[in-house]
Amino acid sequence: MTSEVSQDWKSIVHRCFRCGYCKFTHSYSDFNCPSYKEYKFETYSTGGRMWLIYGLINNDLKWSQDLANVLYACPTCGNCTENCKFEKFKGFLVDIIEAARAEAFNNGFCPENQKFLLERTRNSNNYNPYGEKNSDNSELKKKYNLPEKAEWVYYIGCTSNYRQQDLRDATLRLLKKAGIDFTLIDEHCCTSPLIRTGQNEIVPDFINYNINQIRNAGASKVITSCAGCYRTLKKDYEKFGADLGFEVFHTGELIKKLLKEGKIKILSNYENIVTYHDPCHLGRHMDMYEVPRDIIKSIPGIKFIEMKRNRENAWCCGAGGGVKIGYPDWSVEISKERLEEAKETGATVLTSMCPFCRTNLSDANKKFNMGFEIIDLIELIDQLEIEVND
Amino acid sequence: MNYLNKDEILTQLEKISGRDFVSNKTGDLFIYSQDPGASESRPVDFVVLPKTVEEIQKIVKLANSEKIPLIPMGGGLTLSGLIIPVRGGIVLDLKRMNQILEINELNRYALLEPGVTTGMLKAYLSENYPELQPPIPDAPPSATIAGNMLIHGSGSLSQKYGCHSSMINGLEVVLPTGEIGKFGSCAVSEYWFSKGPIPDLIGLFTSAFGTMGIITKISIKLFPRPKFRDMIFGFTKGFSDLPKLMSKITFTELAEDIMIAKGDVPEAYKNFGMLMVYFAGNSKDEMEFKRKTIEKIFKDHKAQVVPLVGKARERLMAEPQYGAALAADWRKGGGFEYVGSFIPLEKIPEAIEKGTTISRKYGLLTSLLFRLIGRGHAVMFSVTFPFNRSDSKDMINTRKGLEDADKMILEIGGIPWKAELTGQKLILEKMDPNFKKLFNNIRNIFDPNGIMNPGNWEVQ
Repeated sequence: MTSEVSQDWKSIVHRCFRCGYCKFTHSYSDFNCPSYKEYKFETYSTGGRMWLIYGLINNDLKWSQDLANVLYACPTCGNCTENCKFEKFKGFLVDIIEAARAEAFNNGFCPENQKFLLERTRNSNNYNPYGEKNSDNSELKKKYNLPEKAEWVYYIGCTSNYRQQDLRDATLRLLKKAGIDFTLIDEHCCTSPLIRTGQNEIVPDFINYNINQIRNAGASKVITSCAGCYRTLKKDYEKFGADLGFEVFHTGELIKKLLKEGKIKILSNYENIVTYHDPCHLGRHMDMYEVPRDIIKSIPGIKFIEMKRNRENAWCCGAGGGVKIGYPDWSVEISKERLEEAKETGATVLTSMCPFCRTNLSDANKKFNMGFEIIDLIELIDQLEIEVND
Repeated sequence: MNYLNKDEILTQLEKISGRDFVSNKTGDLFIYSQDPGASESRPVDFVVLPKTVEEIQKIVKLANSEKIPLIPMGGGLTLSGLIIPVRGGIVLDLKRMNQILEINELNRYALLEPGVTTGMLKAYLSENYPELQPPIPDAPPSATIAGNMLIHGSGSLSQKYGCHSSMINGLEVVLPTGEIGKFGSCAVSEYWFSKGPIPDLIGLFTSAFGTMGIITKISIKLFPRPKFRDMIFGFTKGFSDLPKLMSKITFTELAEDIMIAKGDVPEAYKNFGMLMVYFAGNSKDEMEFKRKTIEKIFKDHKAQVVPLVGKARERLMAEPQYGAALAADWRKGGGFEYVGSFIPLEKIPEAIEKGTTISRKYGLLTSLLFRLIGRGHAVMFSVTFPFNRSDSKDMINTRKGLEDADKMILEIGGIPWKAELTGQKLILEKMDPNFKKLFNNIRNIFDPNGIMNPGNWEVQ
């Protein structure tokens, strides 16, 4: 291993003791690392990965597809960073894995499935990892009568724009209803899937493009309904040296603020038993746990029950880190475990705040006939009668 | 002698345990060729994760016919290289055998598969049997109950009830020839409640480091969990009075655990012995009485009591304690190894002096721990050396320090436990020749082909 991992992380990687706290839930009741739980070899724990990476840095190991596969078989959920006992470096564990993936990519060992993410995204007809024809969002701007310039930009994100359009439309309606001064831009992918899988080649260009688009829209604030975009815009862009010049918010934060200030009020009852899934990109990665819960609690009639593993202790849905595209069957199995846990609560509705989690949880719901209504919290609110106060 | 080539052996193993649970991939072999301690890596040929007793029997039969070493592994956290093959072979990672088979509440035992971790059992009991507690080693929660018991481990409740290996009621073992052996009351009764009253052969498997068979079921004693648990922390400047102080506390019969730590970390206590006495009770009055009684003994022996708050208290009260794991980063280097041992109580002052001398000799940080075992009948004494894995000189010095610590412990009349290869050799050198001969004979009867973790406890 030659470049970034050795330069940036050499003084840290060897400090992992492989004590194994990273594998567990807080109470140690079960393994909470999806990768370790699935593959079971010590190699697939975060400690195992740290030792492999150190072996590569030291030239005790040579790159191979098998080694790269171990690094990629991880949804980068951050359970390890949550449970590692070593305060000085626990926060870097996922970053180190992502940096090692970049090295795997540079050495030609990025797995085939994940390569599609880059191929599709760099395609000038797409600029998104789904290979869909790029939408410049001009039709949506017309439909919702949005201005060229505004205080806010709603950054839709590829999953919401090309796969979970109900979430996109619900968000647009809600923002309009609440009287937010916002517009849309001709987006490129935020690059989250590329950063997560170590395919950073076009990332700086896409970052610059998106930042310029936002600035050209005159916006000082960006809002997104996607947990992955939120994490990437707010955390990763700066890591890549970008100077944003605007603030980044998740839709949940805005809704909570509007509710708290009394600018919107939910009037209609929602009489269902609901549980909430913490998306890793919002929870462990960005420490946002109470915002969605506060919103849920403001809904009249709702019966909210937590799953056993919640907040920092949540079980990942299995979609992140390139696992959905790289290991589709396993990815859905991970979601199945989450749905089984949701079943224990007696809930009929499973809500979350991430379109990618929703996709994967919905896939498992369908595949295993679990019978849930799976809905983004924004969509759930969009269904309700809302009073808007100036 | 091998009759099949490696590819053929791989195929056979895959037929037994399934392709997903057998590996000879570079990355897996790399990880299983090391442990988190200071031992140098040693090559592994295959890693297998069996799920059933039948699979293990088949693997044992294959290993016998091919003369391939078998190395059973629990959590892999002994730190002394006991799960790193000495002569290559198959590492049997037992984590898939992780069922809690029975909790017998009234008879207070748990019947477990060998892959059940201490963390999982603790969590299971807390949720389902909150009035019972298992013994917990001073190890991360991924340490297995079986592994801890079999290496003569100690930890929580050891002062009150003895070392953890003494808490074994029974074992089911796949013997080195592939037959299943049952030991303890389970050999006669459907209850796994007692070692006897039949000849106690369970001891053949403790401290044997996987040389006598592969444990597939273990019954352990569970203990009442009082409503309240607390600790008294204190320190003392001199060390000569420590044996009497500790002995005095044991005479009260009030303490669950008694420990002394002496080391370079934390800096503020560098020149002192830190005393930790854990006690438990079912009422506030009982707790207050115990606290006052033990604190008085502290004062009578000129030990200063210090109220503990915040993170320090949280760390010392945690079950399992994670403070031990944190030593791995004292030198910013991801590791430590210790020579653990059992010594007589009276040797504590001498052990402090000599352990500190060894640390200084090799420029290592001093970290010594004493834990009373069985109401003062023995003391677990460990000399821990945190090291920097990326510093080869540090690693060499650590290995030298460990060897000196082994020698020192034997010199003062103690015995290293879960000793690494060097320590085993030193123990064997000092061992009574007739014991050695008998042990070797028994081992040859059990394992005629010498397939079980060869290189360990090897009598020349």
